[in-house]
Amino acid sequence: MKLFSILLAIVLIVIAPFFGQIDLHFEDMLNNASSSHMLFWQLRVPRVAIAFFSGAILSLAGLVFQSLFRNPLTTPFTLGVASGATLGTAIAIVFFAGTVFWQYLFSFGGALLTVFVLFLISRSLKTTQTNSLLLVGVALSFFYSAALMVLFFLSDFSQSYSIVRFTMGSLNIIGFGLVYPVAGVSLLLLATIHGYRKEVKLLLASLDFAFLKGIEVGKITMLLLLLTSLAIAVCVSVVGPIGFVGLIVPHIIKTLYQKSSDQLIFPTFFYGGVFLVLCDLIARNLGASSDIPIGVITSLLGGPFFIYLILHRNRGR
Amino acid sequence: MLHVDNLSHQILKHISFKLEHNQNVTILGSNGSGKTTLAKAICHLIHNDSVTIEGQKIALLSAKQRAQYINFIPAKLGIYDEYLTVWDYLNLNIIQEKQSDHLHNVLELLGITHLKNKQCHKLSSGESALLLIGGAMVHQALYTILDEPTANLDQAKKVTVYQLLKNSPYFHNKIIITHDLNLAYKLRYNILFLEEGKVQYHGPCEPFFEQKHLKSCFGNAIKNIDGNFMVNYDETL
Repeated sequence: MKLFSILLAIVLIVIAPFFGQIDLHFEDMLNNASSSHMLFWQLRVPRVAIAFFSGAILSLAGLVFQSLFRNPLTTPFTLGVASGATLGTAIAIVFFAGTVFWQYLFSFGGALLTVFVLFLISRSLKTTQTNSLLLVGVALSFFYSAALMVLFFLSDFSQSYSIVRFTMGSLNIIGFGLVYPVAGVSLLLLATIHGYRKEVKLLLASLDFAFLKGIEVGKITMLLLLLTSLAIAVCVSVVGPIGFVGLIVPHIIKTLYQKSSDQLIFPTFFYGGVFLVLCDLIARNLGASSDIPIGVITSLLGGPFFIYLILHRNRGR
Repeated sequence: MLHVDNLSHQILKHISFKLEHNQNVTILGSNGSGKTTLAKAICHLIHNDSVTIEGQKIALLSAKQRAQYINFIPAKLGIYDEYLTVWDYLNLNIIQEKQSDHLHNVLELLGITHLKNKQCHKLSSGESALLLIGGAMVHQALYTILDEPTANLDQAKKVTVYQLLKNSPYFHNKIIITHDLNLAYKLRYNILFLEEGKVQYHGPCEPFFEQKHLKSCFGNAIKNIDGNFMVNYDETL
């Protein structure tokens, strides 16, 4: 069963670049000068690759946040980190028009700033008050939305359109230039979380228990949250705020595997990537005249799922 | 040596005592007298500046070193991770690699080998209590504090745990918190009796259990019948 689903997932990843609005001509594929070759290697393959690594980062980050905050609703997204990135991007679009470099930088800065605000606030909350932290995340998101509204009024028509487009998330990239940083960060995150799997497992078991087994609870928590947030910041600055992936995937993996956190790390990473590739495949092939933004698809799935989680999270405890 | 020097925290008032090497102690006291608070302070779950282990302030020890010196077994398992199994739990108690081969042995001694792959969340309170003790036997800290280790156990399991506490090489120095006077009496460890956060008695076991002294501590709620301490349910308080 396990092997079958892995094979199925790999097949999905391999065939994903072959589907899209424009049909590929297989006879032209090997011809470097043809449009099919160009379409396949410069658009489709990079797109699937970035979908995979972004999905992997978002899912693994969700698993880490849910484990450390002990709340299935806590993800970088629900805590407002993605909204921070959006605001950063919007600022760059309005005040540094045209330069993509500033967009990435400000987006990264916005996400990072949000993380620091959350850290400062979470220090004055007790560890048991994760619900309060969620509410802080909601409040931050509202604040960012309001600030975003102000920017809309300051911007012209094309800037507004750019901002709206970013908030929906997009996997549209050309070439592999942007795939490398996202892939690198995702693998770094995977390696680190795997390296700290025993600590995460102890922290998830019980904080007092982890303390008694010689874990520096505060230090390790801080380190893991910071690194995860960095990965999220890189990811969001490239593909925009793609919501709910970090909420859905870890939950499904946990329900299917029924194992402790250390055995969920690789499956969450892998199937998180596959999940976003699949969502993107759907988004690209619904038959609309242009692609439906990926963030819209994941939010359409994620919104109801979020409510489902709220209704069921106390079951069996 | 474990040294608590003038510890005051919440209910606890000016508590001082020493525990030499190869010495154990039983902590007694009524509900809310500060037993568990004292235990949490000794293992530094409650941060303080009054506890010294092996000549070093516990606050200044590294996390790893502290874990080798002291371990606290709470009264309840309290695991958040719903998919953590018994085997997982025991493995997490390994703080030095060499102990891993003991795990099967520990399960066998406690008679819970059949629970190996069961999730901690699905254990009964008695099974959880045994697992907690198993964790302590894997951890093997220099000092182990056990908070009511026998409270949820059936009679046969109480005997098993008593034997383990008395004879097992898996424990070094023990600090045992209990309401079970028979257990305290049979263990013959020194008694530390707490009343409203103060040390009322600290000394050898036998004088504590003399009828007159017992009455001063527990009133008429305890009856000594041939060296067995029975709860006197007919007593009108």
